[in-house]
Amino acid sequence: MFFRLLYQSFRRQQRRKLLAGIAVTVGVAVATAMIAIVVDVGDKINRELRSYGANIVVYPQEAALDVRIGDQEVKPATSGSYLNESVLPNIKGIFWGHNILAFAPFLETHASIEGREVRVIGTYFDKKLRFGTEEFTTGVRQLFPWWKVEGGTWPDDESNSVLIGSQLAKTLHRAWEQGDLTEFGRVSGILTTGGPEDVAIVVPLSVAQKLAHASNAIDKIYVSALTKPEDAFARRDPERMNPADHDRWYCSPYANSVAYQLQEVFPGARAEQIRQAAQNEGTVLSHISGMMLLIALASLVAAALAVSAAMATTVLERRQEVGLMKALGATATAIGSLFVTEASLLALGAGLIGFALGDVIAQRIGQAVFHSTVAITPVLLPIVIFLALVVTIGGSAAAINRALKLDPVIVLRGDA
Amino acid sequence: MSLRRSMFFHLLKRGLLGRGDRPLIAFIALAVASTMITAMLNLYFGLESKLNRDFRSYGANVTLAASGAQALPEDASPKAQSVLPKDSLVAPFAFAIAHASNGDAVVVAGTDMSQIQRLNAWWGVSRWPGAQGEALVGSKAESHLGASSGAFDLQFAGRTLHLRQIGTLKTGADEENRIYIPLSTFESWTRIKPSLLEISIPGRSRQVSAAIAMLQSVFPGMQVRPVRQLLEAEGAVIGRMRSVMLACTVLIALTAVLCVFSTLTSSVLERRRDFAVMKAIGSSQKTVNILFAAEALSIAILAACTGYLLGSGIAAWISQANFHTTVVPQISVLPLVILASMVLALMAALLPLAQLQRIEPAGILKGE
Repeated sequence: MFFRLLYQSFRRQQRRKLLAGIAVTVGVAVATAMIAIVVDVGDKINRELRSYGANIVVYPQEAALDVRIGDQEVKPATSGSYLNESVLPNIKGIFWGHNILAFAPFLETHASIEGREVRVIGTYFDKKLRFGTEEFTTGVRQLFPWWKVEGGTWPDDESNSVLIGSQLAKTLHRAWEQGDLTEFGRVSGILTTGGPEDVAIVVPLSVAQKLAHASNAIDKIYVSALTKPEDAFARRDPERMNPADHDRWYCSPYANSVAYQLQEVFPGARAEQIRQAAQNEGTVLSHISGMMLLIALASLVAAALAVSAAMATTVLERRQEVGLMKALGATATAIGSLFVTEASLLALGAGLIGFALGDVIAQRIGQAVFHSTVAITPVLLPIVIFLALVVTIGGSAAAINRALKLDPVIVLRGDA
Repeated sequence: MSLRRSMFFHLLKRGLLGRGDRPLIAFIALAVASTMITAMLNLYFGLESKLNRDFRSYGANVTLAASGAQALPEDASPKAQSVLPKDSLVAPFAFAIAHASNGDAVVVAGTDMSQIQRLNAWWGVSRWPGAQGEALVGSKAESHLGASSGAFDLQFAGRTLHLRQIGTLKTGADEENRIYIPLSTFESWTRIKPSLLEISIPGRSRQVSAAIAMLQSVFPGMQVRPVRQLLEAEGAVIGRMRSVMLACTVLIALTAVLCVFSTLTSSVLERRRDFAVMKAIGSSQKTVNILFAAEALSIAILAACTGYLLGSGIAAWISQANFHTTVVPQISVLPLVILASMVLALMAALLPLAQLQRIEPAGILKGE
């Protein structure tokens, strides 16, 4: 009898079931999409911020003091020490190697152009490297996407083409164009960075090494790594931690621990977080994730209320049915369990569809906004279904209770 | 006429108050929808200014430099401050290459310490200098000069300056190579005037570009340069977050709308008999429509106002808890929410009525 009632209820009241089902489906879909986006938005924004410059710098421990104001400069008396270029691919091999998004080595030297002494900066533009079986490209084009080349193209890393800084180009005597021959290579374009490179000549690393008569040498590496905002634990001195804490620190992607691991790759090097990036990103990230979390909470509550309201309506509509059942002698428990089973079936069915729909919505938003997919963990499914069950049963419960309290006679006469 | 009118209001009152939970559920559904839409719109409109504020903690977003080796005009700093929006920070910098007692060269910068402290809050400073003759020494400069003992001398153009190290500076960038001293000490020692202004302009990118144009016109011949790295990152993040917020607003509004729709629609359909009775005793279709619409609208307006208050509260709470700023509720959201709520309620009430019109009242009353 119970199952017949259940079956007939779904067969005969298709409009009501459809409306309630749509409400639950949409509620679950939105909840799923919101949770997925909230979980992912921190990571996505972190990547976004990380695409604007480096957050860690590596330089030789014995590096000479930079003495420079604009293009005026005092060269250090002792030649600086260098890091080894051939070790560079090993950066990908550190514990948090997968979090290294981009890096670029630098070597600074001097050369004369039109009889004038100018700064020459050697670096990777978009260099192919290999670590183990993994092939990747890295360089300033990935690290500093705001660098712009005008009137030409980016030079090839293996060539001896050069970029002339936009400010420098203005002060030199002739107008430079692509293909012009300088003292040490062909001009590939004019570079604008808004930084000190504007008054320098930027060349492939190998060209700078030849000019400096220092093969394999680099004097600075800028690294962009995905890191976790600094907390109290991250600020502790790793030297003074006990082994367990040290392991935990080493295995957390803090800017400081990634820097520490980079230091291990290059003997005699110092690696440090660039505080402007590392410190401020934490604020932006925690604010954004915090806000999204609160929004998700608020929207979960709203979805729950809205679904409850829809469920309550569908039950209220069925007072006459309840009255009839009561008049025929059904107990409150029997009626209650019928309605709860109906609600649960609805929650399960609509919940599954809603989860799939939510997945699609989250992917769409991810693609549209961040041009990448949003990861949805399978763990979310049972959680979402459970929430759907609680909300649908909870939403109908109060209405069922009220319907049960009414006198069948009055309900059936149509007076209630 | 007045009898009809009083009858109308009587029916309206009964429809709203005499039906038990029904109008209450519709009200709750609509109020939840309005609350969420208000909260999301408030946050959406406030987002940019909040993130702008966060990005200002990165430091200067514009630099103004004298061209070549010249100094800036004497009154550059106050002049810049006067043309910029209020809350802008302007810090002058003057640089010189001095020699330590061991003969090493080092860059010394003179600046306004109190401005720098606010402009570059991310600098890792053990202690800020304040008085004359006190110095903030970059960590690399410190190890090269061996000046950690406290007092040291610097030479510039034959003049010696005696300094006391008050704090150490860590930034992970070029600043670590330098020694920072108060501008007045610097000027009386080197007689060099500031050549660079670091400027932090609050506000949206349009306001920043306007301020840059303004600076350019006030300081002809100087180089006014935006810090592109920062401005581009800021623009990108704000753009992304706006899209995410917009998507979330649409999603939440959609849930609320669908649930409201299903609630209101079924509540109207349930009153088929009222509808049939009214028609049977001679009311026109128009009057019935107006009655149902009036009912839906009064619930909608009440719900929208409640939702507006609640939603503004939620938005204020979220900004307070998360950004530690108070937000002024956007009053412009109110008409939007009321309008949306009214349209929604009207559609949800009138669509099923249109369906019912096709049925003969007698059929409904017989229970078919």
